[in-house]
Amino acid sequence: MNSHPIRESFQKGIVFAAIMVFMMLTGFHMIAATMVSKIFGVYVLRGSIPEIRFMTYIHVLFGIWAGWSASSKTGKISTRIFRGLVAGFTAGAFIALFDLILNFLIQSGTDIRQYLSALSFESMDYFLMNLGQMGILVHLGIYTATGLAGSALAVFLRSESVQHWWQNLKSNISTFITRTTENLPPFLQKYGKYILYLILLAALLILPTRWGSYLNFVIGLVGLYTIAGIGLNIIVGLSGQLVLGFAAFFAMGAFSVGLLNAPEPHNLMWGFWPAIVVAVLMAIAAAVVLGLPTMRLRGDYLAIVTLGFGEITRILLKSDTLINLTGGPRGILDIHGPTLFGKPFTDVYYVYLIFAGVALSIFLYNRLQDSRTGRAWLAIKEDPIAAQATGVNLQKYKLLALCIGAAFAGLVGGISAARNQFTGPNDHTLMASINVLSLVIVGGMNSIPGIILGAFALKGLPEILREVQNYRQLAFGALLIVMMLMRPEGLWPSSRPLIEKGDRSQIEENKNEEGGKDA
Amino acid sequence: MNLNEKTKPPLKQRNYFKIIRPIFGVLVTLFLIWRLYLVFIVQHQYGPETWTRLLISGLIIGGVYSLIAIGYTLVYGVLLMINFAHGEVMMIGAFTGFFVFEATKSISVPSAGNPELVFSNAYPALSILIAFIAGMAIAAAAGYFLEKIAYRPLRKAPRLIPLISAIGASIFLQNAALLIFSPQTRNYTNPEALSRGDGWKILINGTDVTLPYTGVFTFILSILLMVGLLFVVQKTRLGKAMRAVAMDKDTAALMGIDVNQTISNTFIISGALAGAAGVMWGLHNGMFHYFVGFLPGIKAFTAAVLGGIGNIPGAMLGGMLLGMIESIGPTALDISYQLKDVVAFVILIVILIFRPSGILGEVLAEEKV
Repeated sequence: MNSHPIRESFQKGIVFAAIMVFMMLTGFHMIAATMVSKIFGVYVLRGSIPEIRFMTYIHVLFGIWAGWSASSKTGKISTRIFRGLVAGFTAGAFIALFDLILNFLIQSGTDIRQYLSALSFESMDYFLMNLGQMGILVHLGIYTATGLAGSALAVFLRSESVQHWWQNLKSNISTFITRTTENLPPFLQKYGKYILYLILLAALLILPTRWGSYLNFVIGLVGLYTIAGIGLNIIVGLSGQLVLGFAAFFAMGAFSVGLLNAPEPHNLMWGFWPAIVVAVLMAIAAAVVLGLPTMRLRGDYLAIVTLGFGEITRILLKSDTLINLTGGPRGILDIHGPTLFGKPFTDVYYVYLIFAGVALSIFLYNRLQDSRTGRAWLAIKEDPIAAQATGVNLQKYKLLALCIGAAFAGLVGGISAARNQFTGPNDHTLMASINVLSLVIVGGMNSIPGIILGAFALKGLPEILREVQNYRQLAFGALLIVMMLMRPEGLWPSSRPLIEKGDRSQIEENKNEEGGKDA
Repeated sequence: MNLNEKTKPPLKQRNYFKIIRPIFGVLVTLFLIWRLYLVFIVQHQYGPETWTRLLISGLIIGGVYSLIAIGYTLVYGVLLMINFAHGEVMMIGAFTGFFVFEATKSISVPSAGNPELVFSNAYPALSILIAFIAGMAIAAAAGYFLEKIAYRPLRKAPRLIPLISAIGASIFLQNAALLIFSPQTRNYTNPEALSRGDGWKILINGTDVTLPYTGVFTFILSILLMVGLLFVVQKTRLGKAMRAVAMDKDTAALMGIDVNQTISNTFIISGALAGAAGVMWGLHNGMFHYFVGFLPGIKAFTAAVLGGIGNIPGAMLGGMLLGMIESIGPTALDISYQLKDVVAFVILIVILIFRPSGILGEVLAEEKV
C-alpha cells in the first residue's frame, strides 16, 4: 500500500467526519456532552440539554484526536503537522457539508424527524453550538484548527525529550513498587495473598448488607452473567465449539423453576431447592437433545444450528402451541423464591447465593481445566483430527462440554427466574446468548478474571451509566468487531498459552531470569 | 508428559453416536407421515385454490430468499465464512428503496389533467428503476465497507474470529438503524401502477386466487437478476477470477489475479443482490423495520445450505424450495401459523444432520463442513 501521505490523511479525515456524523444521527452527541459535563462536575437533569460549551469541548477533542491519528510517527516535522491540518480540514469540510444538507432539507420543509428519529431541532442546534448557519463555518474552522493542534501535540509528545521523560517516570514507578513489595515484613510476604483473600471474603459478606437493593441487583446480575460466562467458556473457550443458542438453556432452567414454583399454570410448589436441581437436569437434557445429532458439525455450521435451536425454543415458548404447558407468550408470573428456615430470601441472600454459585463455578472450572477432560478439550480445540488420532472420542467430549456448559446456564436461568419472580419467552432471545458470548470474548477467553471483568463491563456498567442504555447494543456490536481486530485474546487474557509452551519448571526459570534483569 | 505413566491399552471403542442419526431420521419421517396423513386423508379440508395461493406466495418469497442466499453462497465460496451481517445489508437496501420512494412521492409534477400528480405516479417505471439502482448501490457499498472494515484484517485469523466479528457487525448495523431510523414499522408507498394487493384474478375451484402485480414483478426481476449473475460468473473475466479465488486463493494470486480486489467484488455483487432483495421485500410486503434483515438472512442461509453452500444454482433452488416449504408447510402439516419461522430452522437442522453438502453440493471435505 504505497498511498500518498496527503491521500492517507484525507481518508483519516473522512473517517472521523463519518464517526461524528454517525454520532449526530444517533443523537449520541448529546449523551456524550452530558457525560463530559459530569466529568466537569456539572450535573444535567434527565431530558434537558447540557451547556453549549460541552459540545464545543467534544468537537475540539475530536478534532485533536483526528489530527493526532493522522500525524505519522516518522518523517519531517512540517509534513507531520501538515497531515494533521489536512485531516482536520477534511473532517471539518465533510461535517459542514452534512450540516448544509440537513439545513437545506429543513429549509425546504421536509419533516426530518419522521425519517431520522434521533434528530430534533434542539439536537441539531446543539450540534451547531446554537450558532445557526454560522455554526457550519465554525465547524470547518474548529476542525481545521484542532487538527493542526492535534498533529502538533503528537509531534511534541513523540519528540525524544518527552519520550525520555516518560520512560524515566515509568521505570521509577516500577522500581518503587518492587522496592515496597520487597521491603514488606516476611510474614506479609508469605501470607499476604491469603490475608487479601480473607479481606475480600469479608468484604463480599458484609458489603451486600450495606449497599442497598439497587446495587445488590446490579452485583447479582454481574454474578449471574459471570456464572453463565464461565459455562459458555467451557463450551467455546475450552472445547472450541461456537454455540449461539445458549439462551435456550437459560430458558430450560428458568421455566423449570418457574413451572415448579408458581401458582399458574400448574401450581406444583415444589420449593426452590428441588426445582433448581430439576432446572440443571433439564438444561443438561436439552443439551443432550441438541448435542447428540449436531456435535458432528464444526465451526460456523454448529453456530448456525445452535442459533436455530435457540430460536426454535423461543418461538415455541412464545406461540400458543405450548400455552397450557408453559403459559405461552405471557410467561410465568409470581414465581416463589427460595426460603431459608421458613423466611423468604431477601436481596442480600440472593447476592450470597449468587456469590456461592460464582465460587462453585470457578472451582469446577479450574478442576475441569486441569483434568484429563480439559486436556482432551484443548486437543479438540487445537486440532480435532490430531485429537481423534490420539484416541480422543470427539463427539463424547464435545457433548460433555455442551452438557456442562448447559448445566451452568440452567443454574443461572433458575436463579434469575426466582430472583425476578418472572420469566417469559422474551427473556431468552438470541441477544441474551450474544451478550454472554460477548462478555466472554471481551473479557478474555479461558480467563476467570477476564470473564468477571467482562461481565462487569458489559452488564454492570450499562446498569450504572443509565444515559448510555439505548446505545448498549450498538456498543456491543462495535466492541465485538474492535476486540476481534485489535485484541482477539480479550481484555485480561489467560496465561495458559505460556504454560503450554514448555514445562512448568522452565517457566520458573524464565521468571527468575527476568527477576534477575530487573534487579 | 510422562511416558512411563501407565496408559490404557487401546480399547475397541463402540461409537454409539452413529445410532443417533437413523433414530432421528425415523422419528422425523414418522412425524411427517403422520401429519400429512392427518391433513390430506383424514381432514381433507383444503381445496386446490388454497394450495395455489400458498404456492404463489411461496414462489414470490422464494425469489427474495434466493437472491439473499446467493450472497451467502458467493461469500462462503471465496472466504469460507458465514457473512452473518448479510441480512443487515438487505435491510439497508430496504431502507434506501423506502427513502427513494418517499422522495419521488414528494416531488410534484403537475400536469393538465391532474394537478396533484407526483413523480412516482407520473413515471412509475423510472422511479422503480431509481429505487432499485439506489438500493443496490448503497447495499453494495455497505457490503464493500463491511468486508474492508470487519473481515479483511482478519483473513489470516482462526475461523472463529471473523465469525464473531461478523456477528458484531450484524448487531451494530441493526442497532444503528434502530437508533437512526427509530424502531417504528414503516410502510412502502408504492407507485400506483404497482400498488400492493392488486393483481390478476384466477378462478380456481370457484374461488378467486389473486396473482399480485408486485409478486409477479418481484419474481420476474429476481429471475432476471439471477440469470444476470450466472452470466457474470460464467462468462466474464470478473466471474472467472471469482471462481479461481474460490478454488484456491494462493494459486489464483500466482496467476496474476488480485485476490483482495476479487473478494471485494464478491462482496459488492452479493451486497447488490441483497439490496435488490430488500427493495423487493419492501415493494411486495410493504412493512419493514430495522430488524427486517435478521430472519430473511437466517432463512436465506438455510436456503444456501439446503441447495449446497458454495453452489450458485444450489442457492437459487434452495431459496425457491425454502420459500415454498415455508409457505405450504404449516398448512400441510397442520401446525400453528405462529410456528412458520420454526419450519426453516428445523429444515436447517435436518439438512445439516443428514446431508450437510445440500441438494446440489458435492460432498465437501471435512475442512469445509
